[in-house]
Amino acid sequence: MKTGIKTLESVVFLLEKEFKQFFRDPGLPKMVIMFPVLMMLVFPYAVSMDIKNINLAVVDNCRSTESDELVKNCTSSGYFNLVTICDDPSEAMVMMEKNDVDAILTINPDFSRNLVKEGTMSLGININTVNGTKGNIGAGYLNSCMMKFASSSDSASVEPVSGSIVTSTKYYYNPYMDYKVFMVPALIVIAITMITGFFPALNIVSEKERGTIEQINVTPVKKSAFIICKLIPYWLVAFFILTACLLIAKVVFGYRCAGDLSALYLFTTLHIIVTAGLGPLISNYSENAQQSMFITWFFMMIFMLVSGIFTPISSMPAWARAITYFNPMRYYADAMRSVFLKGSTVIDVWYDAAGLAVIGASMLIAAIRGYRKTT
Amino acid sequence: MNAIEIRNICKNYGDCKALSDITLDISEGEIFGLIGPDGAGKTTLFRILATLLLPDGGNASINGTDVIKDYEKIRCSIGYMPGQFSLYQDLSVEENLDFFATVFGTTIKENYDNIKEIYSQIEPFKDRRAGKLSGGMKQKLALCCALVHNPSILFLDEPTTGVDAVSRKDFWNMLYRIRESGVTIVVSTPYMDEASKCDRIALIQHGRIIETGTPEQIKESYPYTLLSVKGKPAYPMLRFLRRCPGIISCFSFGSEHHAAIDPKTTDERTLAGLLESNGFKNCRIKEIKPTVEDCFMQLAGKVTDNTLRIK
Repeated sequence: MKTGIKTLESVVFLLEKEFKQFFRDPGLPKMVIMFPVLMMLVFPYAVSMDIKNINLAVVDNCRSTESDELVKNCTSSGYFNLVTICDDPSEAMVMMEKNDVDAILTINPDFSRNLVKEGTMSLGININTVNGTKGNIGAGYLNSCMMKFASSSDSASVEPVSGSIVTSTKYYYNPYMDYKVFMVPALIVIAITMITGFFPALNIVSEKERGTIEQINVTPVKKSAFIICKLIPYWLVAFFILTACLLIAKVVFGYRCAGDLSALYLFTTLHIIVTAGLGPLISNYSENAQQSMFITWFFMMIFMLVSGIFTPISSMPAWARAITYFNPMRYYADAMRSVFLKGSTVIDVWYDAAGLAVIGASMLIAAIRGYRKTT
Repeated sequence: MNAIEIRNICKNYGDCKALSDITLDISEGEIFGLIGPDGAGKTTLFRILATLLLPDGGNASINGTDVIKDYEKIRCSIGYMPGQFSLYQDLSVEENLDFFATVFGTTIKENYDNIKEIYSQIEPFKDRRAGKLSGGMKQKLALCCALVHNPSILFLDEPTTGVDAVSRKDFWNMLYRIRESGVTIVVSTPYMDEASKCDRIALIQHGRIIETGTPEQIKESYPYTLLSVKGKPAYPMLRFLRRCPGIISCFSFGSEHHAAIDPKTTDERTLAGLLESNGFKNCRIKEIKPTVEDCFMQLAGKVTDNTLRIK
């Protein structure tokens, strides 16, 4: 009982010290403010997967009203820059080789005749896929332009071919395919992981480096109390960043969280438990800031790349998908996106909560074990 | 009564034997010096006694409490000042002191008498960040922080390394005053001249204690006659002396050489004659009393000889 009160007292003093040091640090408080602001204002624009400005060359061998119409249709979509209209396919090919052109649309001489007579289009599409993403998406856009043109000219000139399948696409949860709204919860995930996982590790290691940890170790302060006091300030920072990011999303982009805000905070808390183990774990195995930076970097890269933040997990090969099950960011990112975009409740994404809880528990056990070993 | 009892403590770092079979008794209220060169194992022994490191074998007790089992109890009754300055550089002088007082569950006020004399010297700078203090002031602050919880035993690991001569003298005066209040002080140092300032010393080399006792006892136990030999040129003379008959050992001490001789085979006069006839100039030889350093060299040599012979 008495020792309990003593521990609590020392926690208060340790926290006081941590906050004093935090606010005295020349960079940290500014960084905490700037981090969410920069992240939310810069990255959604810069790291966009929307493909624009695809340079298009048209080889028009038909030169008819219809072909003219088709080209106009494509350029008016806003995705394409019409670089040139020429007659010679080899000329367009040379331009593609020089990287001046991303896509070539070839219109055959019988285009307008076929269109009017049979309702079919004789076209060719060549795509430069040095940048695979841009090429694929560009081809998709070009195709949808063709489809649109076909359907509009249907009613005007030709009878629809019987039995042809008409598909219409409707996008749920993100109707305009806005990449920014998709990235906002993901950026929160990255920010929270950085702040709560790696900053405490650096902080603990720097006490090791300066030898101050020795001085603390000869006091009656419990190691657990010392570690918790290292973590708490960053937890507060994490919730501050979460709130700031949500506010910026609302004010600047007008994005509202579709689900319950409390669910976002709950998942953030769960994720913090995971990173609470990660920080001390890293500091256990590194003697100086450089080492801990490197380990941090290593984990962060793996976590981010196989988290489903940038590329969907479902398109990964089976072995990579297996790795993602050990990645706390996978669960956290999935939960945050589901809640933010779809309005899922905690019950809907219970598996994410369970995944985080299991990883969190094992991380904490590993961290405590490792800590005992080193002393 | 013994404040600290060390029994057969061993510690290895991989293949390196940092400490082997250390047994020591340190009595209450004395200044005990652990004297040895860098790498002798002083810091390792301190870290074991300060409950920061577990020994591989043996045991030690402080005030009758075991350092391994009851480390929490011990931490409240000892003060430890590591060799490297390890207070919070971004906290002020007063904040550091206040912090270390509070984590021990006490206040500066409560134990102000303990630290008054030292703290009053740095109090004018109490709002200055610890990182901005001069070396001497940092040391005083570290001593205050180690004393603020009223420990009965103080461990000072190389407190005078890298400190100027005046500050060193100051520092020793502070230690005497702390001793007056009944605190046992264990201090390590690589400087042999500081040995005579301690009440009792232990000489340590290669992780072994080679001698313990008061500085006087150790000096008295020196088995040979010691001569101080001066002359030019110095280095060829040292080599020459080592080959002379009756010279047991010879080391250079600053501008002179200390030669241990066997009085049966040689004496001052024969040696002087030998030196003169071999072309050394300005030779001056006189008998001197051994210092702790002479004893250390002699004892260290003996230990190495023994281990070599065993091999």
